[in-house]
Amino acid sequence: MWVRFCERWFGLLLILGLACLPFFLDKYTQFVVNLILVYVTVGIGLNFLLGYTGQFAFAHAALMGIGAYTVGLLTTRLGISFWIALPLAGVAAAAIGGIGALPALRMKRAYLALVTLAFAELIQWVLIRWKDVTLGTDGVSIRPPRFFDYALKGDYKIFWLILVVTVIMYVIARRLTESRIGRSWVAVRENEIVAQCNGINVTATKLVVFMVSAFYAGIGGGLFAATLGYIVPDGFGLLQLVLHFSIVVIGGMGSVFGGVIGSLLLTTLPELLREYPQALELIYGILLCIFIIFMPTGIAGFLKQWRVLPPEVMSRNWQALRDRPRPEKRS
Amino acid sequence: MSDILAVDGLTVRFGGLTAVDSVSLKVPEREIHGLIGPNGAGKTTFFNAVSGLVTPSGGSIGFLGRTITTMPPYARAALGIRRTFQSLQLIPRLTVLENVLMGLHTEIRTNPWASLFTLRGRDKGEKEAQARVLATLDYLGIGATILSQTGTLTFAQQRYVEIARAIVSSPPFLMLDEPAAGLSPNEVRDLDRLLRRLRDERGITILLVEHVISLVLGVCEQVSVLDNGRLIAEGTPEQVANDPKVKAAYLGEDSGADGH
Amino acid sequence: MDIATLLVAGLANGSLYSLMALGLVLVYKTQDVINFAHGEVLATGAFLGYTLYKVVGLPYPIAFVVAILLGGLLGGLIERIAFRPIAHHPHITLAMVTVGLSFALKGALRIPYGRDIYVFPPLMGHTPIMVGATAISPQSIVTIVVALMLAGALFAFFAYTTMGKQMRATQQNITGAALVGINTGRIFSFTWALSCLIGAAAGVLAGPLSLLYPDMGTNYLLKGFAAAVLGGLESVPGAMVAGLIVGVIEMLFGGLISTAFQEVSAFFIIIIVLMFRPHGLFGQKPVHRV
Repeated sequence: MWVRFCERWFGLLLILGLACLPFFLDKYTQFVVNLILVYVTVGIGLNFLLGYTGQFAFAHAALMGIGAYTVGLLTTRLGISFWIALPLAGVAAAAIGGIGALPALRMKRAYLALVTLAFAELIQWVLIRWKDVTLGTDGVSIRPPRFFDYALKGDYKIFWLILVVTVIMYVIARRLTESRIGRSWVAVRENEIVAQCNGINVTATKLVVFMVSAFYAGIGGGLFAATLGYIVPDGFGLLQLVLHFSIVVIGGMGSVFGGVIGSLLLTTLPELLREYPQALELIYGILLCIFIIFMPTGIAGFLKQWRVLPPEVMSRNWQALRDRPRPEKRS
Repeated sequence: MSDILAVDGLTVRFGGLTAVDSVSLKVPEREIHGLIGPNGAGKTTFFNAVSGLVTPSGGSIGFLGRTITTMPPYARAALGIRRTFQSLQLIPRLTVLENVLMGLHTEIRTNPWASLFTLRGRDKGEKEAQARVLATLDYLGIGATILSQTGTLTFAQQRYVEIARAIVSSPPFLMLDEPAAGLSPNEVRDLDRLLRRLRDERGITILLVEHVISLVLGVCEQVSVLDNGRLIAEGTPEQVANDPKVKAAYLGEDSGADGH
Repeated sequence: MDIATLLVAGLANGSLYSLMALGLVLVYKTQDVINFAHGEVLATGAFLGYTLYKVVGLPYPIAFVVAILLGGLLGGLIERIAFRPIAHHPHITLAMVTVGLSFALKGALRIPYGRDIYVFPPLMGHTPIMVGATAISPQSIVTIVVALMLAGALFAFFAYTTMGKQMRATQQNITGAALVGINTGRIFSFTWALSCLIGAAAGVLAGPLSLLYPDMGTNYLLKGFAAAVLGGLESVPGAMVAGLIVGVIEMLFGGLISTAFQEVSAFFIIIIVLMFRPHGLFGQKPVHRV
């Protein structure tokens, strides 16, 4: 109970503390903080697929692009409210991603990567070429969302919106991973045969995780559009993707905390390296290799090992089991 | 007594190799049925065919009066065919609780929306599932390990965790693939007791593949013998043990008649 | 445009896709992992060739040979340093390392070459050879001939050399190969070296047909994937033939329908293959076995 209690209150305090940030930060730092929160959602989404289910796919940046463009085009060109457009961004990414991945899900694992890589190129191509709708390389500027009559304009005001959505997405992620759905993902990752013999439909599970992951990418993309205020197709290419991979691997595969830690570190890294943008790919690439080889559970795994972070047992309220009287061992 | 499993003329071919050759087998309810044979006799392939992991080239499989020959494995598991594997197939980094909960995948009926949006403690399905895991582990005498990391347990305990995962959903039918491999004689005796309790107290029908012949002869009511994919003998342990064909099949191979 | 002109251009591009697919299939067959860094291997080869030929001023054949040997060396080093220590890790680790390598290599190219675009001049000028109404660029002929020679050398290597036979044995059954005394570690190194040598060769050949920039590999990687999938992912001759098919389809699509579609032909080829013939043109239908 104690750990659960601490985690709860610590979480609440953290959210309250975060909510006060706009009163202390300068505009630029606030922008970076907003980006970090956006990448929490994006990173958690990719972690479902990569870390929890062990499925290798390359579409996450493109799906984020679908989310961003859904929000951008619906609000700016059709005048639909942001509050409707944001969930639709998630749904659109989940639907398009699900259809794209479907042919590969029954095949050997290599095929999902191949199909999604080609699929990501296709999305890029559509965003660039379908000028009548997407405005092509000119990009789309996003009108700031409105909260009743109050426009959430500028980095400070948009922050509240992002914070609320991020907290919701985080809580949903924790609940999913503490349920039979999250456990079925891990079962598929570890051994598909054993998973089937425990009643898990492997193909359906892969489709579900791909769509949930895409939903997170879509929501993250929608928030990303609102944060930047302006999106271009190029923003959702391979550089975006390597950032996602790095967030998951360095933060910690198979850990919701990992998504948070990863986005915190890797969103600030490019800002620190603003002077040397050419070095970014090299650094990401080398970090990815080093972590995956020497620290496959990432920083979250390391912190859990040293008990800085609580364990992430995949069952809701498991702490209650700690408090029960332990029966004597049968002789 | 009706048959829980009715296999008729089952044949499995891999390319040119016939691994299981028109085997017919009936397992009545509440029986512990042994399946023995030399290495490569087709026992594991037979198991895989019944679990749905390999597609039979011929014959049919009936379970609880339904034909399940073409049913995918996850649907068979949901019907109540559960199994363990020759080598341990647990997730060592996860707790015993998480590993065993995987066996309840088809049983937990939570409303996903409720589990996502209600506050703590309202997740009834998950709570019940935890209670079932705990009860099962206590039944097997390893309740104290529920929050331990599975990889840190002894080999025998891990075998029991795997059995727990297979029986936590209270299936009518359990297939054990060499559960005694790697256990000490004392642990084999415990296993013998456990199998009887599973049948008597929980009403589970058991199909047992085993190399430790003493366990098979001691605990099984009926034994079938496979050799080169064919069923060569069937009957009570005594009948099978004295069957000249069985002796011939085992000739030259260390049958491990004394268990070790 | 004339169909024959398109065909020759398609075969020239296609022979590069064949080489890409060959490299991918070789590594996939031995280590069961797709090398996502293969596009960057091509780009590295292209820049090595460019630097040796244009900057150092070596004669073209020597520059070509040195560049591809360096590419092979790079492959061997990658296997020895990054892959050997993790050969027994889960599949996703191996795949992820190739992704990391791909970005690291691209980043490394970015440091000397920046974001500029470089031009590799064609070997025999720009004047096309006219055969009737068909305009054939001499560079296309060079590309096709060199690629075919490389492929021929590869087949001969597999058929007649001990190393080639050992590599085939390892592809069939790693444990078995180790049991009969084949040094599988050496085989892995050699496979990577060979794969990257072919990839670098594709890069040097691609130089005059394309423009040189550190991101150039992605497009070739995708087309190489499409060819590998069409060829059945595990078939060496399949990869060879499928590469040519992909090149021709792409050109015909581009020339007869719209050049815009040329860029995404890889996606459609992969999807269509997966939907209608998932084991590819030359792959064997998998025997279902647990």
